[in-house]
Amino acid sequence: MVEPLSGQAIYVVLLRELKRYSRAKARIISSIAQSFFFLAIFGLGVGSFVGAVGGTTYLSYLAPGIIGMGLIFGSVASGISVIFDRQFGFMKEMLVAPVSRTSIILGKILGGALTASIQGVILLCMATAMGAFILNSTFVLGAIAAIGVMLLITSGFVGLGVAIGSRLNDFHAFQLLSTFVLWPLFMLSGVFFPIEAVPFPLQVAMLADPMFYGVELLRWCLLGTGTPLLGQYGWIISLGVLVGFNMLIIAIGTYLFSRVEV
Amino acid sequence: MGFLGPNGAGKTTTLNMLSTLLRPSNGSATVNGNDIVKKPDAVRRSIGYVFQDPTLDLELTGRENLDFHGRLYHLDRELRQTRIDEMLRVVQLGDRADDLVKTYSGGMKRRLEIARGLLHHPKVLFLDEPTLGLDPQTRRSIWDHIQRLNEESKITIILTTHYTEEADFLSNRILIIDLGKIVALDTSENLKARLRGDVVSLAPKNPKVIPKMCSLFKEKDWVRNIDVVSSASIHSRESGAMHMAHGKAAAPEMSGSWGQMRYRVSETEKPITDNQKSMQNMKCDNDSGDQASDWARLNLVVDEGAHRIPEIVKIADEAGIALDSVELREPTLDDVFLSFTGRGIREEKGSFVEMVRRYNILRQARGRKGRR
Repeated sequence: MVEPLSGQAIYVVLLRELKRYSRAKARIISSIAQSFFFLAIFGLGVGSFVGAVGGTTYLSYLAPGIIGMGLIFGSVASGISVIFDRQFGFMKEMLVAPVSRTSIILGKILGGALTASIQGVILLCMATAMGAFILNSTFVLGAIAAIGVMLLITSGFVGLGVAIGSRLNDFHAFQLLSTFVLWPLFMLSGVFFPIEAVPFPLQVAMLADPMFYGVELLRWCLLGTGTPLLGQYGWIISLGVLVGFNMLIIAIGTYLFSRVEV
Repeated sequence: MGFLGPNGAGKTTTLNMLSTLLRPSNGSATVNGNDIVKKPDAVRRSIGYVFQDPTLDLELTGRENLDFHGRLYHLDRELRQTRIDEMLRVVQLGDRADDLVKTYSGGMKRRLEIARGLLHHPKVLFLDEPTLGLDPQTRRSIWDHIQRLNEESKITIILTTHYTEEADFLSNRILIIDLGKIVALDTSENLKARLRGDVVSLAPKNPKVIPKMCSLFKEKDWVRNIDVVSSASIHSRESGAMHMAHGKAAAPEMSGSWGQMRYRVSETEKPITDNQKSMQNMKCDNDSGDQASDWARLNLVVDEGAHRIPEIVKIADEAGIALDSVELREPTLDDVFLSFTGRGIREEKGSFVEMVRRYNILRQARGRKGRR
């Protein structure tokens, strides 16, 4: 069946995500606080004995990764919320309306990407205020590019959340998911340590983590460098991998969502 | 039109298929002239569906929920605003429209959902258990709304329900469904007339003789149907007073200590539990000995009950059975339901009590968590 897209439907689902986000004060505050603790305690604590990493302070090295952490947790949670929508019935209201499921899912992905990126921008401001970045005109351009990268990263991970949320029937499984999917993705993304410094097997695992490329791209935008392992044009590789991952995972998410039964 | 049927009969499944949420495994149906498999979008545009489970977004206001719905159904801004105001007036929620739905009571949520189902002016409105778990006042007010809607806006309303009296009150035609099969479809009056008879209800002085009475009356060809009603079920049907007495008797013992309070709660609940066990409306042939002591009444469905009573009494007399009371009444929809589904509706009601309780607990828990 050919499903025509409806701009209105995409917009309304997106609008709902934004409204719900703006009312979930606890979620916003706890995410900001969590990132702050990481930056302040890890950044200063670990930073005081490792010294410089790749020519920058440890705090600067850590900051893009911590922003990435906010993005990935925020966006997967937003995608996973399809479980809540199913559990608490609101999904039926959307599915019985004369709009295609593809429109609903695109609205969900755009809405989730937008809210998680807003979160990312807040974290970016906080990290900047904490002195993680050198303020100059290049940084301003880089920060603008970083916002684009944030939208890219988050739309992929909302897609991942939707794909998982469409298959799971039980939101208690969220805990398992967090332990076995989110945390490995986050810890392997090169937030805390540079990839070139770790043993080969771990390097392979890190290279298999799509979030690794997201953090790499954020570093290119905010610090102007990336890991020597991917070379001088590492950002192009990272961008390519991320775009490919997004296309694949959004396609999978849309497919799985289209088969959801209420 | 009302869909009446016990739990698991297939009422909601039928609605889900008619609303294109589920694909039928075979067969076909049309809604407002549109085939549900070939033209799902046209079907969706012409229906409104008020689901059995709450499906509002609690984190949005009432107005936002309606606005969201209006947008999904492609109403333009102006139309959306007029209709939202109009519907809020109809369900009397105007003054709470801008509060978050999580602060609404159960009845208000239900009214908002009905308003939402009507916002896009559907040709057919599906109401799945519209008054489940609501108090009698709210139920009555929702019945009035439904009736007014049906008269004023001339839309077809299909509702499913457990309550025979709800189906009776609201429906022009009633469809009885059991185990996925339609067993009857007619007006309430015709269905009752189809029983072509009255219910003569006999209570013997000694309930133990009921099995004997059963076999006695089963032989008579003018007895069309026999139902045995247990004492516990009479107890529950006939008396709020009994429960009151229970509460009163236990109340003096309640001195505010937690343990005693719990004791009291379980005391008042006890009759209900007993009912659940013995509520099965047992058929004669299904006589298990230990249940016999619970049996209290025998309901005979006969033609022209008033004229049969002397004969019935005589038969009992000759068999040496002392009767305590004889009652004659017109068949209710309950009797119709029983005669069609065979399995007693009381059995369903027993589990239904349980279901409502769980439902309410769940609802409250949801309210407390405030999370969807």
